[in-house]
Amino acid sequence: MSDEKKVADIIRDEHNAEEHHTPGTMTLVLALLASFAVYYFANWKALADTWHVR
Amino acid sequence: MSTTLPLSGAAEATGFATGNHRPGELRSCDTTGLPVCLNAQWFIRINAVMAVVFLLVGGIASILLALTRAPTIHLLSAEWYYRVLTLHGLNMLIFWILFLEVAILYFTATSLLNSRLASKGVAWASFGQMLVGALMVNAMILTGNSDVLMTSYVPLKGHPLFYLGIILVATGTLTGVGNFFATLYVAKRDRTYNGSVPLVVFGATAAAIIAVVTLLHGAIVMIPTFLWSMGILETIDAAWYRLIWWGLGHQSQQVNVCAMVSVWYLLATITTGAKPINQAVCRAAFVLYVLFINIASAHHLLVDPGVGAGWKIWNTSYAMYLAVLASMIHGFTVPASVEVAMRKKGHTNGLFGWLFAAPWSNPGFSAFFMSLVIFGFLGGITGVTLGTQQINIIAHNTLRIPGHFHTTVVGGTTLAFMGLTYYVVPLLFQKEFYARALCRIQPYVFAGGVTLMAVAMTFAGSYGVPRRHWDVEFAGAQVSAGFDASAHLWLGLMGVGGTIAFVGLLMFILLVVSAVFFGKSNAGRAMTAW
Repeated sequence: MSDEKKVADIIRDEHNAEEHHTPGTMTLVLALLASFAVYYFANWKALADTWHVR
Repeated sequence: MSTTLPLSGAAEATGFATGNHRPGELRSCDTTGLPVCLNAQWFIRINAVMAVVFLLVGGIASILLALTRAPTIHLLSAEWYYRVLTLHGLNMLIFWILFLEVAILYFTATSLLNSRLASKGVAWASFGQMLVGALMVNAMILTGNSDVLMTSYVPLKGHPLFYLGIILVATGTLTGVGNFFATLYVAKRDRTYNGSVPLVVFGATAAAIIAVVTLLHGAIVMIPTFLWSMGILETIDAAWYRLIWWGLGHQSQQVNVCAMVSVWYLLATITTGAKPINQAVCRAAFVLYVLFINIASAHHLLVDPGVGAGWKIWNTSYAMYLAVLASMIHGFTVPASVEVAMRKKGHTNGLFGWLFAAPWSNPGFSAFFMSLVIFGFLGGITGVTLGTQQINIIAHNTLRIPGHFHTTVVGGTTLAFMGLTYYVVPLLFQKEFYARALCRIQPYVFAGGVTLMAVAMTFAGSYGVPRRHWDVEFAGAQVSAGFDASAHLWLGLMGVGGTIAFVGLLMFILLVVSAVFFGKSNAGRAMTAW
């Protein structure tokens, strides 16, 4: 449980927008996109190897 | 600890508007400061208990299946394999999830909006229908009267009570969803909250809307099938059945996704003090779910000859991606909200100092964050790929498909719901967990087992191993068939992963049952912090 504020306070206050700095999350998201690109390409390659178009 | 009107505890102290609770029907939570409607608390408790009971039934089925698909063990006979597979699918995908989702809807509508539950009678009607329906379905399966798998594709025919049971579970859930909407109305009418509803309530509402569409599909397909099983209707069109059934079968999983994302936001707040980083974007993502996620059900029919290529490609390669976009938005905003909260607390070292400093020994946090990673990295990537019409042709009906959905429904939804339970028990049952060290490692055991099992399924499927198949070696067949040693290695690892996941699941059930029935009460004080 967060020590600083009670959950009820945070939920009441959630509409107040603030500045954000999230470089770690951005890195995780880019890792996800890179993983997707590799997996997606590998599957198209597997399809091409399985089902030749002449 | 109950208080009488007007609300004298947390709600006023935290600035919520005075609620609409009746005398003696309210207490304030000493840990979160949230108001707790005692009627809602009772129904949250009984729905959660039944959810865990059905999780146990489905879990026992899961270890039997894993040890049957592992070739060196091959535990069950063919007859019992398909019977237990039917039991596993319905208990894990439908009963465990739906009972807990009804509990989540009641919690969000009452505690987060400071409202009373709209109707106790309706809540009983919902619970009664769901329970009777689920028991009927399980009885029909275990007595060998409905070996039709979860999809029950016609012309496979189950016992009429099997279909009636599913209809009762659906109508019961719909009744509970109706009670949720009625509670939203009552809260709005009585002005129990200020401004917009919290994001978690917004997400739960999106889940409830999708549930209505889902359950209407269920009624459309299951009522005629029920009549057919009794001999009143002569035939059911098989292609029509498949099309409409997936409006039930897939969308019910999208209700799970929506509820899971809401649980992510809730657990991020409870465990790290995070708050959503952008309300408009997060809410827009939930709206994308409501508008487009139903179309995603088309990907189950990508090799179905009954529908055309244009329909398949439009639904799965265009419209479905708008729902995927919603998941990607949540996949960014949830960890970002945690990062912002942790950096605010001073954990600013490097790119990932905030992540290393996160409360990993808190099972609520570890379960939620691993759920997010497993759902996104494994479930999301494989799901989008398998949902591509051209690629689906090399993967359809192989073990890659259950490999994918075990990372979304089990590694994602079930793990997130387990994390939530580590707060539901102390906050709503007001009981403390025993063996807290075991509680801390349980999410890791379960997540590790599920991940190994799902990855092994995916690789075995890549070798062409079919899903839903008792004997992939075709023992006794007149022509030689089967798979090489590589596929067997992955099937063996699937058995190992399934066993580890089962151990994690048993740990969870034992910890929850011991806490709920024998745990020390924390009524009148804050829960022991994780």
